[in-house]
Amino acid sequence: MEILTQIGIDGKLLLAQAVNFLVLLFILHRFAYKPMLVFLEKRTERIEEGLKNAEEAGRRLQEASKGEERILATAREEAKKIVTETREASERRGQELVAEFERKAERIIEEARERAKEEREKMFREAKGEIADLVIATTEKVLRERLDGDADRGKVTRFLEKE
Amino acid sequence: MEISIIAEKLFSIAGFSVTNSLLIAVFVAVLLALSTVFSTRNPKQVPRGMQNVIETVFEGLLSFIESITHDRKQARDFFPLVATIFLFVLFSNWSGLLPGAGTVGLNEEHAGRIIMVPFLRGPAADLNMTVALSLISVFSVQIFGILALGIRGYASKFLVAPWKKPYVIGMVVGLLELIGEFAKILSFSFRLFGNVFAGEVLLTVMLSLVPYLVPLPFLLLEVFVGVVQAAVFSLLTIVFLKMAVTGHEEGAH
Repeated sequence: MEILTQIGIDGKLLLAQAVNFLVLLFILHRFAYKPMLVFLEKRTERIEEGLKNAEEAGRRLQEASKGEERILATAREEAKKIVTETREASERRGQELVAEFERKAERIIEEARERAKEEREKMFREAKGEIADLVIATTEKVLRERLDGDADRGKVTRFLEKE
Repeated sequence: MEISIIAEKLFSIAGFSVTNSLLIAVFVAVLLALSTVFSTRNPKQVPRGMQNVIETVFEGLLSFIESITHDRKQARDFFPLVATIFLFVLFSNWSGLLPGAGTVGLNEEHAGRIIMVPFLRGPAADLNMTVALSLISVFSVQIFGILALGIRGYASKFLVAPWKKPYVIGMVVGLLELIGEFAKILSFSFRLFGNVFAGEVLLTVMLSLVPYLVPLPFLLLEVFVGVVQAAVFSLLTIVFLKMAVTGHEEGAH
C-alpha cells in the first residue's frame, strides 16, 4: 500500500474522481444521449420514409406520363382512322350518288324518248285516221259526182273489197 | 523546476483536500455537461450551430461502436459509457494543454523545500482520475457481461472445471483471463496517465528551455495525443464490452 500513496493514489480523491465521472455520465445519458439518439433515429426514419415516398412518387409520375403517352398515341391513331374512314365513306357515297343520278338521268331520258315515240305514233295514227276520213270524204264527194257508170261501180266495189 | 507525479493540493473543504487535477476534472465535467445538454435541449429537424457538432459527434461515435460490435442494439447499450469516456478523456487531455497548466502557480514550502504548486493540471495527469476511470470501465464490463450471459454464463468464462473438455488447460486459461481482467485496470490507468503526464513534462521542459515557438510542434503533438488516448481508452472499452457480452459458444466459431 506504501507504493500507492507514493504514486499519489488517495482513496478520497479516487472516489471524488469516480463520482465526478459518474455524475457526468448520468447527466449526459439522461439529458443528452437518450433524447438525442431517439431524435436522430426518428429523423433517420423520417428521411428514409421521405426518400421512399419521393421514389414512389417519381415512379408513379413516370408511369402516368407513360400512360398518357400511350393514350395520346391511341387517340391519335384512332382519329387518323376515323378521318380516313370518313373520307373513304364520303368518296364512296359521292360516287354512289353520281352513279344514281346518272342512272336516273338516263331513265328520264329514256322515258322522254319513249313518250316522244309514243306521241309520234299516236299522232301518226290520228293523222292516218284523219287522212283516211279526209280521203273518204273527198272520195265520197268525187264519187258522188262521178259514180254513175258500171265501170266505176265495179272499181269501187273492187276497191272496197280490197279494203 | 520540479514536476510532481502526485497532483498538488490547492485547498481543502471540510477536511477534504482538493487537488488541482480534481478541480479541473470537475470543471471539465461541468462545462461538458452544460454545453452538451444545452445544445441538445430543443433539437431541430434541420440542425443549426452546435446541434450540428453534437449530431456529428454522436453519430460518429455510434457508428464507430457499431463497426466493432456489428450489432445496433449493443452499440446503443454501450454508447453512454463509451461516449462519456471519450468526451471526458478528450477534454481532460486538452484542458491540460491550456496556457498555465503546470506552469502558473504559487510557491509553497513543503518539507523544507520550496516547490511550485500549479493551479491547472490535466486531470489525466493524476493517477486518481485514470484509476477511477479504469475501475468504472472494467466494472461496467463485468456488469454488461453478467447482464448478457447471466452470472453462471459469465463466471464460466473464468472458472472452468478441470474435468471438462480442454481439461486443465481450460482451467488455467480461465484463471489467466480472470487475472487479465484485473490487469486491464492497471493497463488502462497507466497508459492514459503515462501518456498525458509525459506530455505535460515534455511541454514544461520545452517551455523552460526555449519559451517561444519551439514548444509549438510539441503542443500540436499533445493535442493529437489527447485525441488518440481518448480514442484508445474508449476503443478498448468497446472491445472489452463486446468480448464480455459474447459467450463461449458464439466466440468459438
